[in-house]
Amino acid sequence: MRSFLRQTDRLLRGRDVAGDESPRSALPRLLLTIGLFGVLYGATMGTFGGLTAERWLQPVYSGLKVPLLLLVTFVLSLPSFFVLNTILGLRADFAYVLRSLVAMQAGITVILASLAPFTAFWYASVEDYNAALMFNALMFAIASIAGQFTLKRSYKPLIARDPRHRLMMRGWLLIYAFVGIQMGWVLRPFVGSPDAPTRFFRQGAWGNAYVEVFHIAGRAMGW
Amino acid sequence: MLTWFKALDRVLKGEATRLDSLRGGSIALPFGGLSVLLILLGAVYGACMGAFALMGRWGTDTQASGYLQMLASASKVPMLFSLTLLVTFPSLYVFNALVGSRLGFASVGRLMVAALAVTMAVLASFGTILVFFSLCTTSYPFIVLLNVVMFAIAGVLGMRFLLQTLHRLAVARELDDAAAIVPTPIAVTAPTEVPAESIAPQAYSSELPASVSKPPGALDRIEGHAFGPHVRSIFKIWILVFGLVGAQMGWVLRPFIGNPNAPFTFFRERESNFFEAVVNKIGEVATWDTKKAKPARQRHDDRAGMPLPPATTKTYTGD
Repeated sequence: MRSFLRQTDRLLRGRDVAGDESPRSALPRLLLTIGLFGVLYGATMGTFGGLTAERWLQPVYSGLKVPLLLLVTFVLSLPSFFVLNTILGLRADFAYVLRSLVAMQAGITVILASLAPFTAFWYASVEDYNAALMFNALMFAIASIAGQFTLKRSYKPLIARDPRHRLMMRGWLLIYAFVGIQMGWVLRPFVGSPDAPTRFFRQGAWGNAYVEVFHIAGRAMGW
Repeated sequence: MLTWFKALDRVLKGEATRLDSLRGGSIALPFGGLSVLLILLGAVYGACMGAFALMGRWGTDTQASGYLQMLASASKVPMLFSLTLLVTFPSLYVFNALVGSRLGFASVGRLMVAALAVTMAVLASFGTILVFFSLCTTSYPFIVLLNVVMFAIAGVLGMRFLLQTLHRLAVARELDDAAAIVPTPIAVTAPTEVPAESIAPQAYSSELPASVSKPPGALDRIEGHAFGPHVRSIFKIWILVFGLVGAQMGWVLRPFIGNPNAPFTFFRERESNFFEAVVNKIGEVATWDTKKAKPARQRHDDRAGMPLPPATTKTYTGD
């Protein structure tokens, strides 16, 4: 436990990159980090409706959804990223690339977990559901921007070896964000509206985030 | 089968198109095996394309035609590429010979297969993302647009690979010639880049696998003289022609994605052509009425279709 926390600390300080463990042994630890800290934030996120007898499942669901959001997005984006890396001639470094990508997600969950007290405090002080949504969106935005620093730091030695890695890093952020935004939309509800019954997936909530945004923009423009 | 995958992997990694592998004047790869693999990869992407039609009909009495659309798309994507190649290959070969290129029939054929391998591998690897979006999207134009983007990325990478490999074949040929005249072995020109180790911070560089001389990737440019300008322009013109024929071929083979409102057909009526349709679409975007264009299929609520994009690349194959 203690060494696990120490490793997490190293991850935040960017010392994890050249750590003395191989990518192979680092992956399970990083996945555990994503699971633990993701559940921590997700569970906090799901407490908006209160911890009454009929709503106790929402924190559990939300807790499961945060790691799920990151990992499923990761798995879906990986094949194309792998092929793109290969044809750019970067296959030899792929184990390190993979590790950097997982480390980025671990970083995001740790940052999110550190923001969980703010979310709890916000829930305790503001009752509005939409405000809760906005606040969580803000927390996710902060965590993903900060998470990019983790990625940039672990990519630094790779970029120094081969500048093409910079292009691929940007490509990854593009693919990951593109899929991740839609994944977040599909996995709703995270916060759990207090008026709606607790469910893992919201009834009839599928649909496409980008098309929605397009429609909202269209309505705003008066089309 | 495994050896075919290994051959594909070598093409993607750029090992098959390194100078020392090209010394014979041709790319060494199992032509037949790789072709079979390409058909499979195309079928994988086609099935992913057809997933949208299946999801749109899921749970309704037309679900069977969703499966049919999936099968049809899986067979049409390989068909699209092979028929386009069939149409454009003879003239490419003839003009290539006419301007005095030293590439033989087999060499050009292998070059095509290798370039298509890059395209198909990229395309197939986008399959997971495409299926995910097909699962949760009801908007048909969005899926068309997503496919256009994926085809465009795959097409651009494949064409870049083609031009770079063509260039490398010329460089390799020159080295062969030089070796024939001067019987001393000539070192293959390594890419003249600064060894990465000298830049990398010491703390990290020991951790990463040591490779001082980086082997060039499949898309990298190698120093050296190219073929005569004619051969290169023949291939550039061919790329343009391939794109144009491919676009029209995609139009002839429609539907790929399958409009969920239209009944399943293997082929649609032959109407106009791709280029006319693009011009019409541009006009349509200007006069698009969201209220009028609401799709009949409403899974959850009334989500109107997004107007089709005016920018349709030449690799566009949507329907």
